Amino acid sequence: MREETKSLIRRIVFLVVTLGITLAFMFPLLWVILSSFKTRLEIFVLPPKWIFLPTLQNYKDILHSDFMYQLKNSLLVAAISTGVSLVFGSLTAYGFSRYPIRGSDNILFWILSLRMLPPIAVVIPFYLLFRSLGLLDTNLALVLVYCIFNISFSIWVLKGFFDEIPIELEEAARLDGYSPAQVFWRVSLPLVRPGLATTAIFCLIQSLNEFLVALTLTTRRAVTAPVGLAKLQTFLGTDWGRISAAAVIFMIPVVVFTIFVRNELIRGMSFGRMR
Amino acid sequence: MTERIDVLVRRRHREELRFRLLLFVPTIVFLVLMVIFPLVYSVNISFYDYVRGREPRFIGFGNYAQLFRSEQFWLVTWITLRITLTCLAIEMGLGLLLGFALSQKIPGMGFFRLLIFLPMMLAPLVAGLFWRLLLDQTFGLVNFFLERLGFGAVEWLTDPRFAIWGIIITDVWQWTPFVVLLVLAGLGTIPQELQEAAILDRASPWMRFRNIYLPYLRMPILIAVLFRSIDTLKMFDVPYILTGGGPGDLTTTLSLLGYRNLFSFFKVGVASAISWFVVIIVNILVNVLLKVLSPRKKIPREMVDTGL
Repeated sequence: MREETKSLIRRIVFLVVTLGITLAFMFPLLWVILSSFKTRLEIFVLPPKWIFLPTLQNYKDILHSDFMYQLKNSLLVAAISTGVSLVFGSLTAYGFSRYPIRGSDNILFWILSLRMLPPIAVVIPFYLLFRSLGLLDTNLALVLVYCIFNISFSIWVLKGFFDEIPIELEEAARLDGYSPAQVFWRVSLPLVRPGLATTAIFCLIQSLNEFLVALTLTTRRAVTAPVGLAKLQTFLGTDWGRISAAAVIFMIPVVVFTIFVRNELIRGMSFGRMR
Repeated sequence: MTERIDVLVRRRHREELRFRLLLFVPTIVFLVLMVIFPLVYSVNISFYDYVRGREPRFIGFGNYAQLFRSEQFWLVTWITLRITLTCLAIEMGLGLLLGFALSQKIPGMGFFRLLIFLPMMLAPLVAGLFWRLLLDQTFGLVNFFLERLGFGAVEWLTDPRFAIWGIIITDVWQWTPFVVLLVLAGLGTIPQELQEAAILDRASPWMRFRNIYLPYLRMPILIAVLFRSIDTLKMFDVPYILTGGGPGDLTTTLSLLGYRNLFSFFKVGVASAISWFVVIIVNILVNVLLKVLSPRKKIPREMVDTGL
């Protein structure tokens, strides 16, 4: 009996602690969501108003602003660079998994180091290069640069997924007369479909969230959502209602994607090194 | 007959070779073109006195010499390191504690975890915006609570003593969840029997941590430390949006300094030199990371279950 009570108390303590931690981490998010429904005046009221008549004005303003166009740019660039990266990434990941070449490890490491490359170092040459090619302020410029990061990420994560396919399956397919290319296309690739989805979502999130490259390589037409958000902040000074509304709209796709990959977060965040 | 088989075998061989080339060549060509070429170009620029609108002039290590003599550069380097080390210490400590707290099996834990992990999926820029709102001197909630608790308001974003903490708070809020994620993954690999045996043996909490948890947490902790330090050294978004690098240069990171040299002062050569300084520091860390992550390395017994 005493043991049981003790265990119950422990459980309750842990539950309270967990709830507390979760709330603490969620608080900034909740506050921004609340702010997005407040009028300009209500945001500055202290003590803060927890209960108020929500207004949709901030959202209406944002839906009719450039921000939606920038969000479209973001989604477009993210989607294209993700698609391209998955094609390159799955081919090469399969290669490293099944046909390791001489110096494979070194090449793999070099590829990982690309993912770690400081964006500031990439941005300077690309800024000059794209300026002379007339590619500044185009979606293509961002797609190309994001592909560097996304391809290297895809190779690492997908290699882990390919490594998990039992080699016997592929050998059986070879005995049935499949060519290596057919084995890849008809046997292995379908088996890593969950891995492809996970990789795609992480590439999408990372491309959507990228700021420095987008800030330097775009000025007007190809501006992405994070850059747009930063500009809202400077131009409108303290219109936090609108900024919050824009931030909330921008967060929606990211949160939805996160829910999709919730069981694979560890793989995505550690380049497939932990699972 | 044998001749026909020979032809078939040779054709198959060719097909296989072509397939292997397809696997590697396009990617490697793309990456080499997109990375090596720009980087070589950028090293080259760092040796020129190149200010936009003027003819570049070769000055060898002039830009680097100028940087290494500049007080601002060393201040910014120091600030970047300070942010990195402080964030790392807090995130690791807090992450380990929260990881243990969240590893308990309670109904609905999956949902709590998902909520906790959200911050790290957001754009760092958005995190910076959140905290700019929360840390605002006059209407920010943080100051409101501080005053309620009797501490007095703090000029988080403009006071030379506190601005750096605004950056640190934002990074800690966003990335502690990452450490928690890794710790949870590490704890998840500990066999249940091992934990139960320790409890039955009445091992002290410290002994349990040392002998049971730590071996399984070594790899996650290493990964967390390396990923976090590499990312924090490159930090740009948060100081850009939160403080703009100010007051003075007190929250300017190396990346921000490079950016400003390029876009505010048009000093392309100096900006390249700074960016190369960052590349070299990060590269040293990446090399450590690669050693740790090496797939062919001899795996210590206790690591087998983490899948490394």
